[in-house]
Amino acid sequence: MSKRVLCKFFAHGACLKGENCEFSHDWKAPPNNICTFYQKGICAYGSRCRYQHVKPSQSQSSASSSSTSAQQSLVSDPAYPPHPSCTSSSGVALVPVALTELSASSRPFILPKQPAWKQECDQHEFLDDDDVGEPTSLKPADRPICSFAAAGDCPRGDKCPHIHGDLCPTCGKRCLHPFRPEEKEEHLRMCEKKQKHLEVLKHSQEIECSVCLERVLSKPTPAERKFGLLSECDHPFCISCIRNWRNSSTTSGLDVNNALRACPICRKLSYFVVPSVLWYTTKEEKQEIVDSYKAKLKSIDCKHFDFGNGNCPFGTSCFYKHTVRPGSYIWKNHRPPPRKPTPRRSDAVDMDPFINRDDINDMAGLLEDDMDCNFPDDDLDFDEDINPLNNLSPFEMAFMLSQMGFDESDSSSDDEFILLLRGSATISVLVSSVLGFILFFSLPCFNITYKPTSSLSIEHGCPVSLQHAYRDGRLEEVVLRHLGNEDGQTVIAKHISCARIDFCAVSALLKYAG
Amino acid sequence: MWKGINTALLGRHGYNRQIGLRKASRARLFKEYKEVQREKVADPDIQLTCDDNNIFKWTALIKGPSETPFEGGVFQLAFAVPEQYPLQPPQVRFLTKIFHPNVHFKTGEICLDILKNAWSPAWTLQSVCRAIIALMAHPEPDSPLNCDSGNLLRSGDIRGYQSMARMYTRLAAMPKKG
Repeated sequence: MSKRVLCKFFAHGACLKGENCEFSHDWKAPPNNICTFYQKGICAYGSRCRYQHVKPSQSQSSASSSSTSAQQSLVSDPAYPPHPSCTSSSGVALVPVALTELSASSRPFILPKQPAWKQECDQHEFLDDDDVGEPTSLKPADRPICSFAAAGDCPRGDKCPHIHGDLCPTCGKRCLHPFRPEEKEEHLRMCEKKQKHLEVLKHSQEIECSVCLERVLSKPTPAERKFGLLSECDHPFCISCIRNWRNSSTTSGLDVNNALRACPICRKLSYFVVPSVLWYTTKEEKQEIVDSYKAKLKSIDCKHFDFGNGNCPFGTSCFYKHTVRPGSYIWKNHRPPPRKPTPRRSDAVDMDPFINRDDINDMAGLLEDDMDCNFPDDDLDFDEDINPLNNLSPFEMAFMLSQMGFDESDSSSDDEFILLLRGSATISVLVSSVLGFILFFSLPCFNITYKPTSSLSIEHGCPVSLQHAYRDGRLEEVVLRHLGNEDGQTVIAKHISCARIDFCAVSALLKYAG
Repeated sequence: MWKGINTALLGRHGYNRQIGLRKASRARLFKEYKEVQREKVADPDIQLTCDDNNIFKWTALIKGPSETPFEGGVFQLAFAVPEQYPLQPPQVRFLTKIFHPNVHFKTGEICLDILKNAWSPAWTLQSVCRAIIALMAHPEPDSPLNCDSGNLLRSGDIRGYQSMARMYTRLAAMPKKG
């Protein structure tokens, strides 16, 4: 058998003969790359042919020069003895070596309606002359299956020396060997598996990523053609999109837990992303993908753990392998080495209104003691004879702001207050003049001044119970401002808000008077 | 020159990533553009158009939702899309004057959580428009950018708020008669 020549079908992953193939299924075997049509002088592809155009005499000389080459092995192959009769029947004068090689290796190429073949020699004649009489003596189980029939059509029909296989229900090819049950079983199993894979792939092909709005499997590079599975929900994304999103910096003010780590669609929090080439349809399939991914990671050494010399931030829940190497830190001390201090993010303290709340609290906690002792209770008294329509004193301003911030107990009021501080430069100056002693903390720390002011709670005793920041007469100012803005066409607002103004002004005056 | 500065600041990898993100945002905006062309008829309240020369600049015309003081008005929105777009929210502001607690009266800046800390890359420009329409119908007076409007609502003066809002809708968002 010409086991030393690489099977072309195998090279394309489609050899139906499996173990019984006459050609080598070993990748190291040299492929037979010589164009046989050229040697006959009838290659229709000319210079575009993907096989080597070697003249018959050349191939012979090269074959004889090296004993290990494919040609040589063919010549010495007892299964394909040279047919001198073929030379005469095909009518082309060729060196016998080249012809045997031609008949043996070109067999897989025969296409029933190849015009080039019909020019020179009859198809049947050519097919017959290499195999005639060979397999008849074999047992049915040893006879190879006919690849032409498997591919759809055998030109030899009933006269074919090979076995025409049974029809496979899944792939629809005549490739089931009737006398080899194991092979048949295996083929059926493989075929079903492949079919299933194909179906899943077909299904996956349609799925779009919600971030880039493209079909995941239609992306330009193979690395991008992967899904990123979120552990907690079933929304599809490309791996690059979801990873980019989860890694995007927090400087843009996005919440880590509410936005970045959550599914962009359903906002369910997922702690890890699993790459997968296929999209699943059932829970079990997803579990399978996740498990195989985890198993794969488990075989890779954790770079944080560093064989016992490092401290893995994920501890025992790390997906990677933690192997303790003898002589490492853990080996000696039975505990992980101290963690290196992580560098503090430079973006944590800036004028961003959506500053990381933990940082604020940290800093506020540091300052709180100082603040409290500088805000004795009697400072809270209002200047009682102040005209509410005039400018408020700086401290009152600050107090009102604290009131506004106080109306809600939810956390959003904190943000709002910072926003207010930020929004108006004048107010921030006023507040800072009240809290003059912290001016030296400079701007970055300024944001946190809301903490001490809001700690001046109502229970310290407020002379007038301010229900709302607007009851002090500023509403009048608001409406007047809006009225003044658009002169002449202000009837609607004026008419409706008039009563309101009076009420507010009066009530505010009353409050301040009494 | 520009490239040099970027490389110096971000390093080779960071610069490449930035280029990649810009490409991705372009591709995504182009997708959205096609989607908008196709869906033009589907949502008559939103008319989203892209700047002819710059795919990162969009404008939208949205109709004020019915049964609100903004009914009958057509409001113009300006979108400035960042280069890291699906990862970062677009900057949206009203070009038309609007009296709404969550819209800055002068600059038109919008206070909407999905445009800030609750942004998700699954949002599109079209859905952002829809969210803004929903915001117009349901103002959030507790986090006001327009304190006047917010405080009218917070003090329970619904009538005052509505009349003011209607006035500004009539003044700014409706075609002038005659």
